[in-house]
Amino acid sequence: MSEDHPLAKLLARAAGGDRASFRALYDATSAKLLGTILRICKDRDLARDLLQEVYVKIWQNARSFDATQSSPVTWMVAIARYRAIDEMRRRKPETSGSEQELDDAAAEFVDPLASRDRREEAARLSQCLDGLEAERRQAILLAYCYGASRESLAERFARPVATIKTWLRRSLTQLRGCLEG
Amino acid sequence: MSTPDDLDALAGEYVLGTLDLVERRAVDARRSREPLLDAAIRGWEDRLAPLNELLPEATLEADLFPSISAAIDRLGADQGIAHLNRRIRRWQWAAGLASAAAVVLAVGLGASMLLTRTAQTELVALLAKDATSPAFVVSVDLASRQLTVLPSAVEPPAGKAYELWLVNARYEAPRSLGLISPSAATRSDRLASYSDEVIASSTLAVSLEPDGGSPTGKPTGPVVFSGRFVHPKI
Repeated sequence: MSEDHPLAKLLARAAGGDRASFRALYDATSAKLLGTILRICKDRDLARDLLQEVYVKIWQNARSFDATQSSPVTWMVAIARYRAIDEMRRRKPETSGSEQELDDAAAEFVDPLASRDRREEAARLSQCLDGLEAERRQAILLAYCYGASRESLAERFARPVATIKTWLRRSLTQLRGCLEG
Repeated sequence: MSTPDDLDALAGEYVLGTLDLVERRAVDARRSREPLLDAAIRGWEDRLAPLNELLPEATLEADLFPSISAAIDRLGADQGIAHLNRRIRRWQWAAGLASAAAVVLAVGLGASMLLTRTAQTELVALLAKDATSPAFVVSVDLASRQLTVLPSAVEPPAGKAYELWLVNARYEAPRSLGLISPSAATRSDRLASYSDEVIASSTLAVSLEPDGGSPTGKPTGPVVFSGRFVHPKI
């Protein structure tokens, strides 16, 4: 997290109204944000519309980005995820990830961060996720990466929605304890 | 009143994405006024950020930037509004701190209502008994005057119905905006004849009425959710 990050510089210039820097920021990040949105909402036409909205929002909020508080990609991915999740919640549960998609996704998460970047934070989070019971860990990952709602998780794991809510909250508490331990 | 643990759990679920729409809107509205909640959200975004590496990349066939740029140009015409928005956000920030102090002093505080803006022309109000349990999200598209009310886990007593009212000093009595469903979205054009100024300066109230609605055209039962708009018209 630093103001020297190249994307942070582009964001700072965009905040000052520099459209060319914003274009460069778009070129550097749009594939990631589109992939993020598409994984949650599945529909390419909708994803394109949401991506446009997300970049307009990034432009509008660029001034509020604080490079000492978060990384540019973390900040932008959050905006994209929230927009896609809001849209899915608005469209009601039946249009979010199907049972089959969630099953396929669950199979992917053997050791999600194992072969990836071994930066210290990633390694740490991976270790802490491993400390969760398998189903709870899957629930966290399906929610974060696929936008799974409590209802779709309840269906996937054949548990009441209230149980899922308890799982999620306890898992978050456990993760936080582990990360700070 | 929420404890620090509740706040952190709420922030965690917000970042995870598992809150329902009403809860998400409530967090969005509170976030701009509650520095602690905002910090808790940023904390979770940071903690879970390594998971972003699992998110794939995807490319578009066509370059989207020209249409993004055009959308930004359209915003440019509203620069004065953007400036006003920033002033309002600062004001909300101060109001948030003030209200946090007020909550400490008055735990038994009654209904509250938060208002945020999700798009250029949309006003959103959360009708709640307290800050953590919103009962209805009311949104108004100022362009079309469409009123949408989304319920969340509320149930009127048997034989009773919820009726929404617009309360404004300009009118002697509350104006009915119709019955609202406790289980499904209610959409109506009952705001069609009101100006932006009236809508933004009104209080919305929900009263308990007999099935079929108030027989007199005025509220006859207790007001169960209400609050003032805390936000001027954009």
